[in-house]
Amino acid sequence: MSLSMSAPVRRKSFLANNPSVLIFLSLLALFTLIATVLGEGFGLGIISTSFIKTLGKTLCLCLIAIAMDLVWGYCGILSLGHFAFFGLGGYMIGMWLMYERTKGIVLDSLANAPLPATPEEVRDAIGSQIFGVVGGSDIPWIWGFADSLTLQLLLVVLVPGLLALVFGWLAFRSRVTGVYLSILTQAMTLALSLYLFQNDSGLRGNNGLSGLQNLPGAASDVPQAVLSVWFLWASALALGLGYLLAAFVVSGKFGSVVRGIRDDEARVRFLGYDVEGYKLFIFTLTAIIAAIAGALYYPQAGIINPAEVAPIASIYLAVWVAIGGRGRLYGAVIGAAFVSLMSSWFTGGGAPDIDLGVYVVQWTDWWLVLLGLSFVLVTLFVPKGIGGLVDLMVRNARVNDRHGADFGPDQGSKREEEQP
Amino acid sequence: MKTLLEVSGVSVTFDGFRAINNLSFQIGAAEMRAIIGPNGAGKTTFMDIVTGKTRPDEGRVIWGERSDNLLKMSESQIARAGVGRKFQRPTVFEDQSVRENLAMALRNDRQPWKVLFYRKTDEGAARIEALAQQIGLSSELTRKAGELSHGQKQWLEIGMLLAQDPRLLLVDEPAAGMTPAERDHTTEILKEAAKTRAVVVVEHDMDFVEKLNCKVTVLHEGSVLAEGSLAHVTSNKNVIDVYLGR
Repeated sequence: MSLSMSAPVRRKSFLANNPSVLIFLSLLALFTLIATVLGEGFGLGIISTSFIKTLGKTLCLCLIAIAMDLVWGYCGILSLGHFAFFGLGGYMIGMWLMYERTKGIVLDSLANAPLPATPEEVRDAIGSQIFGVVGGSDIPWIWGFADSLTLQLLLVVLVPGLLALVFGWLAFRSRVTGVYLSILTQAMTLALSLYLFQNDSGLRGNNGLSGLQNLPGAASDVPQAVLSVWFLWASALALGLGYLLAAFVVSGKFGSVVRGIRDDEARVRFLGYDVEGYKLFIFTLTAIIAAIAGALYYPQAGIINPAEVAPIASIYLAVWVAIGGRGRLYGAVIGAAFVSLMSSWFTGGGAPDIDLGVYVVQWTDWWLVLLGLSFVLVTLFVPKGIGGLVDLMVRNARVNDRHGADFGPDQGSKREEEQP
Repeated sequence: MKTLLEVSGVSVTFDGFRAINNLSFQIGAAEMRAIIGPNGAGKTTFMDIVTGKTRPDEGRVIWGERSDNLLKMSESQIARAGVGRKFQRPTVFEDQSVRENLAMALRNDRQPWKVLFYRKTDEGAARIEALAQQIGLSSELTRKAGELSHGQKQWLEIGMLLAQDPRLLLVDEPAAGMTPAERDHTTEILKEAAKTRAVVVVEHDMDFVEKLNCKVTVLHEGSVLAEGSLAHVTSNKNVIDVYLGR
């Protein structure tokens, strides 16, 4: 041990080591403030309520993109199933919203009856209200906690978390990696989606849960303009906390191990780390983040149905993260926000059609082609994604940024100083 | 001399090919050993078995004072028990700095929760500085490992091995692709390490083995052909036959 080390080394705080966190949180706060001021609920009313909802939903998509970046960009697990957890989170909160709201309606309509309704009658009425569309009136057992917000919020975390834990344990324990793991996660998503499509799944089959934009109980009189801003705030808060948590996880030694697993799993194992435990931790944590994002997204969307859980959604998620730049948290946020807003602009009739004379390019049809093409181009030519632009801006400030990784075995033991 | 690792009667077959055939091997707690042999003699497979990467069809691998059975342990458990391994091709985490590479290898708790809330310590920092000095990378600590030269990567991996503070080092061709000066440095590091722990070096290069100046085990077709000093084994008729192909 050298003596020069006897003086304690001053260590920089977490935020000082990760300047992007503070920048991101400030920008997020600024964005939320501007949206609130311009919105109808509390401000000038320049932005419509539906656009406030779009912004709030976009924040939720950014949150699940962070989860995807954590599991794919940092840990190297290309999960094509995280939208399943997102959807499950939405279903869990949707059950409470729908049950309690229906209960309110039923109680109102029974209030004028000559005899006060028994609890059984109330329950039957709720059952036929909710499940009439799938030809039933019994409330399935999985709705057992639907009258309690606390329990149903707990299920938002527990159901996707346990599913991820069991699935991940089985998959990682048998050392399934790479494309095989991606296919497995895809299969899980497809199976869940097909199950939810069934009428006897207990979750209203392909009708899904609807009317989620209305809060039950005391908050049922709050206008949508105000409600949308509330959800925007909640989504921004969740995104901020999610970003902070993800940045904490990937910084320091844990992040080092996780990135090591991405780059050379076997080497990490021979260093004495239980790779499976780390993967399982990241997989489950990101599933929970995805579920929370979903639980905030669907009350703003107003409806959730099994099509939302379809495998294609999870593939889009991977595309967002790839375009934004994986392996950096702000890249995922940029990708999700940019691509999903572009997507609603192109498919929502915002983009003008292009008349080529012989053929009219209608973006509602051609948007997917454009998206696919940009995905291929980004993967080929800009592997760092949009987030890579930040590197160009801060490059001047950095020293030793010579990525001379090519000095491999081919050039023998050539040292850097020997190079011209 | 106390035995640290005892491999006895181990055989392993890949698709009908017998890579290891009734191999027995012992090494003491502070000993240097070189393993030589022609291509396909089973040198790397032997390391795979000891580190838990490959499960043998039969045989025993016994470790340490408590005579633990290594065949019942996972790769990471074996590594935590004190077996460190350096691969033939330098495998360092190229996307991370030299310091991060060394920090990851430092002997510390490896459980996810402990690692998640791990705080850097002054002892750890001092240990990294000392290791970096030993492997000649003190001025490269903040550089990405991918930017290092081939020889420097080899050293970094040796440094990571030492950082684990293992009781047994398995080193696969440490001198491959190194200049003569770099080889001498590598020899020094390995000799120093062998004073306090067991070191097994797999090597093709006879000059390098000669410099290590230690007991040599010759492998051929998956079993031990000869064992002893380099002079002893190179005068062995069987060894000459195998190496000269007669």
